[in-house]
Amino acid sequence: MSESPTLPTSPPANLRLLDDERDERAAARRLREAAVAIFGRSLHIRTIDTGSCAVCESEIRLLAAPHYDLHRLGLFFTPSPRHADVLLVTGPAVRAFDPALMKTYHAMPEPKLVVAVGACPLGGVYGEDELVHGRLENVLPVDVFIPGCPPSPLALLHGLLVAVGRLAEKAGELSFIEGTNDSRGTTTSGAMPEDRR
Amino acid sequence: MNGEGALGLGVAQAGVSERALAREQVEDQVKTMAGVPEARLADFFGSIEDGQLVIRLLYGLDRSQEYVMLTWPARGTGYPPLSDVAPAAFVEECEIFEQFGVSPGGGKTLNRLVIPPHADHDFPRLGEAPARDRPPPHAPHHVSGEAFEFPFGPVRAVAQESLYIGLVTSGEEVIDLYLLQWHKHRGIERRLQERLPDEALFIVERAEGLSAVANSWAFCRAVETVADARPPPAVERSRAVALELERCYNHAAAIAALCQATGLSVGQAQAEIALEKLLRLNAAAFGHRYLFGVLAPGGVRTAPDGAVLESGLGPVLDELREVVESLWSTNSFVDRLESCGVVTPDEAARLGLVGPVARASGQSIDTRRDHPFGPFAELELDVPVRSTGDVMARMSVMVDEIEESRRMVTELTAAGLGAGVADLPRVPGCALGWCESPRGESLAWVRLDAEGRLRRARIRPASARNWRAFDDAARSRNVFTDIPIIEASFWLTVAGLAR
Repeated sequence: MSESPTLPTSPPANLRLLDDERDERAAARRLREAAVAIFGRSLHIRTIDTGSCAVCESEIRLLAAPHYDLHRLGLFFTPSPRHADVLLVTGPAVRAFDPALMKTYHAMPEPKLVVAVGACPLGGVYGEDELVHGRLENVLPVDVFIPGCPPSPLALLHGLLVAVGRLAEKAGELSFIEGTNDSRGTTTSGAMPEDRR
Repeated sequence: MNGEGALGLGVAQAGVSERALAREQVEDQVKTMAGVPEARLADFFGSIEDGQLVIRLLYGLDRSQEYVMLTWPARGTGYPPLSDVAPAAFVEECEIFEQFGVSPGGGKTLNRLVIPPHADHDFPRLGEAPARDRPPPHAPHHVSGEAFEFPFGPVRAVAQESLYIGLVTSGEEVIDLYLLQWHKHRGIERRLQERLPDEALFIVERAEGLSAVANSWAFCRAVETVADARPPPAVERSRAVALELERCYNHAAAIAALCQATGLSVGQAQAEIALEKLLRLNAAAFGHRYLFGVLAPGGVRTAPDGAVLESGLGPVLDELREVVESLWSTNSFVDRLESCGVVTPDEAARLGLVGPVARASGQSIDTRRDHPFGPFAELELDVPVRSTGDVMARMSVMVDEIEESRRMVTELTAAGLGAGVADLPRVPGCALGWCESPRGESLAWVRLDAEGRLRRARIRPASARNWRAFDDAARSRNVFTDIPIIEASFWLTVAGLAR
């Protein structure tokens, strides 16, 4: 906790992609450093399943298991989207699920991130048709893609590392002064945006 | 089967008899089957053959090592309401109505399965949509009196699949419960049509990723039966090793989930360590943590290294057994499991349940023993059975099965493992394939045309059968906090249910 908790305006240089996923400890260290610097050991993740085959969920659950132990990195799962910074989406975005997906997304406060998990939301399993959107990007702005069928827990950690950097960017763009708009046009009155009441 | 002559069955393939019925014979025939104690209604589905809807009703005669398939053309008024005689047919009656627009006679109210309520007439289905002018036959839900409905889902706890649970309660006690699963319907069976089996396998594995090996083995067997080609025994043994590894990791995951549901973080962590090691062993042996892409129609792509299996599996399962032993001596754990989520033997038989859920309720059924396939014809299998039907019974069945799987992997490895994928001839035909997934009997029925493309592929994972007992289990004198425990002990997937 030696770093000062200032908000960087660009992603820290240490958020480069890892060449070697087996470098687990290095990944964990970078993730911890970035999360600590930006979110004071409190980055909250909400998961949502838009039609997965249940395997991505299994890998996500293992993030909290001893081998990966997400919590030591200051990352936590939260059942409530209103407490979430990151939306971890699995599945090909089944159209019938849209209302639930949108409600969850809109319940999240800014700055928020959407992370597409696995081959389904990337469009790798089902094409766009009457049943599914095929690509999550067709319905939500996706910030980070984590490929894999399923992505291993280490790949998920890696993706979350990238996400933390993106969140830093987004947080830097926000204005925290009451009544002003940020550069992206979303009104954020720091303390309590409209959709959080 | 004893009554074979009387039933007038023709042999369709080894282990499967088929009989074409006229529409008028159906009701009597189903009544006859209801009187055969060992006949278990296994599946019930429609298939469009030569432009006409044919209904196929499948029974498992588990003690005679045989399946019986009854078929009849659905013309005019469809078919008699079979679920009056055989309750195990009800969900499929709803499915056939949604997919093909044909309802059982008698104006029966049906439940909604995978077609969302706002769907229009053009919503993609396997056949024709139900007639536009008919009022929807779906049963309305009325909750009144002391009770109210607590809506739970479809977005549920972290890293859980989407599922809407309508909980009817008076405050704490579960009075009734119903599930809505259309949020996860991806139209798997529809997507399989017109594909070659090799391409289709990719989708079959993803119908229910946690039973990828079992479902794809059932599918491969069906395709191989049509082609009249069986892989050599060593190749089939590699498949069986993958199947048993799948069972081990699923049961370990179920035990971890039970610990989580009962609030035992230490037990959960220990079971998850074993689970992660088992997944890594899958990757070391077959190249994929969840064993995707291992099987192919005509064979298996990888033969696992016997030494890797030998050195990897034993120690992990020993660890897991220690975890289980400490769990059995933890009163706060055992108390939550006993008499929780009871499925009576009667219900299990009536609803045609399969797998550990059925075995925990006194049904001694296991596809590996009752309808032997591949190397299981030569292996002795001890099928664990309990009679209490509660969460405790389901968990102890799973624990015993892990030990059986360990023994079988050792025997299979000793007999020699091989790899190789044979080219299958493209011939037309129909066949049934079956396998025992970690959740129970997994079935696949295929109909191939002259080009070797799928005209119809019915994929029936065990989840599709066993969820129907979930409401009964949740209702049996349980409270809210028992539901996650019951769900963990069933260890089903919504993906397999909604497909």
